[in-house]
Amino acid sequence: MFLTKTCRLAVASLVALLAFVAVPAQATSVTTAYGEIEVPDAPERVVTLHEGALDTALAIGIAPLGAVTTRGGDGVARYIEAHLGDDRPAIVGVVREINLEAVLALEPDLILAPPRLPEAQYRLLSRMAPTVVPLTQGFDPDAWRSETRLFAQALGREAEGEAALEEVDARAAELAERIAAAEASSAVLVRWMPQGPMVMSDQLFSTGLLHAAGLAIHDAGLVQEGKPHSDTLSLENLSRVDADWLFLATLNEEGDEALEAAKASPAFSRLDVVDRDRVVPVDGQLWTSATGPLAAQAILDELDAALSP
Amino acid sequence: MAAEPHAGLASARRLPRTLAGLLMLLVLVCVVSLLLGAGDVGPDRALAVLMGQGDAEARFVLGSLRLPRTLVGLVVGVSLGVAGALLQAVTRNPLAEPGLLGVSAGAAFAVALALVLGATATTMRVGVAQLGAMAGCLCVLGVARVSGARNDPVRLVLAGAALTGLLLSLTSLLLLFDQRAADEIRFWIVGSLAGRRLEHLLAILPSLLIAGGLTLVVARPLAAMALGERVASGLGHRPGLIRLLIIMAVALLVGAATATAGPIAFIGLVVPFAARALAGPDIRRTLWLCLPLGPLMVIVADIISRLLVAPSELPLGVLTALCGAPVLVTVVRARRMPTL
Repeated sequence: MFLTKTCRLAVASLVALLAFVAVPAQATSVTTAYGEIEVPDAPERVVTLHEGALDTALAIGIAPLGAVTTRGGDGVARYIEAHLGDDRPAIVGVVREINLEAVLALEPDLILAPPRLPEAQYRLLSRMAPTVVPLTQGFDPDAWRSETRLFAQALGREAEGEAALEEVDARAAELAERIAAAEASSAVLVRWMPQGPMVMSDQLFSTGLLHAAGLAIHDAGLVQEGKPHSDTLSLENLSRVDADWLFLATLNEEGDEALEAAKASPAFSRLDVVDRDRVVPVDGQLWTSATGPLAAQAILDELDAALSP
Repeated sequence: MAAEPHAGLASARRLPRTLAGLLMLLVLVCVVSLLLGAGDVGPDRALAVLMGQGDAEARFVLGSLRLPRTLVGLVVGVSLGVAGALLQAVTRNPLAEPGLLGVSAGAAFAVALALVLGATATTMRVGVAQLGAMAGCLCVLGVARVSGARNDPVRLVLAGAALTGLLLSLTSLLLLFDQRAADEIRFWIVGSLAGRRLEHLLAILPSLLIAGGLTLVVARPLAAMALGERVASGLGHRPGLIRLLIIMAVALLVGAATATAGPIAFIGLVVPFAARALAGPDIRRTLWLCLPLGPLMVIVADIISRLLVAPSELPLGVLTALCGAPVLVTVVRARRMPTL
């Protein structure tokens, strides 16, 4: 007994720390919000219930069988489309409402779930397949990195996950050099509404990335701790979001139309940043909903395009 | 109820004085509305602008932000107040309120439908909102009539609440199908005066004029109808036609108000109530008093909505709903449901 155990450990050197756990053949152990769980070594039927998990899986070369929709859409996010092969993932619900029967029908051998998955749902899902729930708590612009590592580990491709993260870091560093050279670095991300903008927190995935790319992204002191965005800012106080760059997130595809709509407001059109033509309409699905290395690259792409004259 | 005729007569003589007092109060509130806001332009700088001086920033805030919303508040207040008074009189129901009768929900639903179908133009929205308002109102009155008890206020309100619930859930359903409209629709679910411009007012001007004309025409026969439909017929009026005209006027007014400011709850309920308390039950006097009282309430609520959570703003619809709900409960509990 002892001998065989040692043999297995020698094979599975990655889990050497977990020697005291009786590891069945062909299995890895990962740390999730619901404790240590064992996942199959080379999962083949993966279902992702979190946009960041779908993103990570695709980034490291695994095509999930099922996925949830992006916020404000009825399919996966637009930026994801470019990374899908011929086998599109089946839609098994929206972020807040997972269709458990659809998940079960896919006969998953691994489920990648969003952080803060309710325990009742976890119990049901974990009876279908090992369910990986990240340990993220609160808002943390860098939480996606540990999530990416965890999902990559669960998928048995840690090295690929690490490489994807390094690519993002390298890209951000390259952009940071250009931004430092341009000497225009303050930035605000808002969602525009006719009554006034909602300022997005500087603790989000996208704003964290902008920070990594050298932009001094700020929330104008308007976002309460732990909230993703501010209340609707009074148009009288619109000058607070005046910065070197203003990113205008919309859930519509027609970003330019949103910009035109905003410009129709006299309070908006008199901002300095509008004068200097540095308002950048960005994809709200990508900037306020998605996470993961592919999303990071897509956001940095949009930033790159905005910086290039 | 027995004391009311006397109170009515006494207040009839006082009416011009009450009206003048309310108008002065309204002017005062409008000035305050120009002076106060969620921003850095305080009363001192705003006052300088009113005196013909002031810095560019303050001039912009007053001229382009606070003045338009005050004017919109005036128009919306008058529309909702008058619409509420007409609706309460024609349904003989002191609890009738455009919002409770499915009018606002009808307008919001129509706009949602139009948005989902791809409409964006401001001018189109006004017509669409008004059509929706009229359809919603007719539905509720139709349902209440089918149930065969036109003089039962509670039944009418229940029918309105049911239709409002149905329309709101249909609106949500549309939004689920097309979440891209979600940003624009948020405004149509909770009303607000912020970010409204004078162009928006111009777009609704024609319908306001028509509605105003209709109101002038129907005020007299409506007062006669308060004495009973037979009396009104005997005086040469045609109750059926009058009712139709009033529903049209209400739908135009509420549609216009909803198209400019989104649904704003309870103003149409509370304003006629206050007007009746001041002027007695005669619809003509009630209507006069609704003219200053409506905007007074809307603009005061708007000022509060700017100041409560500065530097952000509360949507006006939230505030009027918060204040209006307790008022409705008080009204229902305090009186034994007077019939009009």
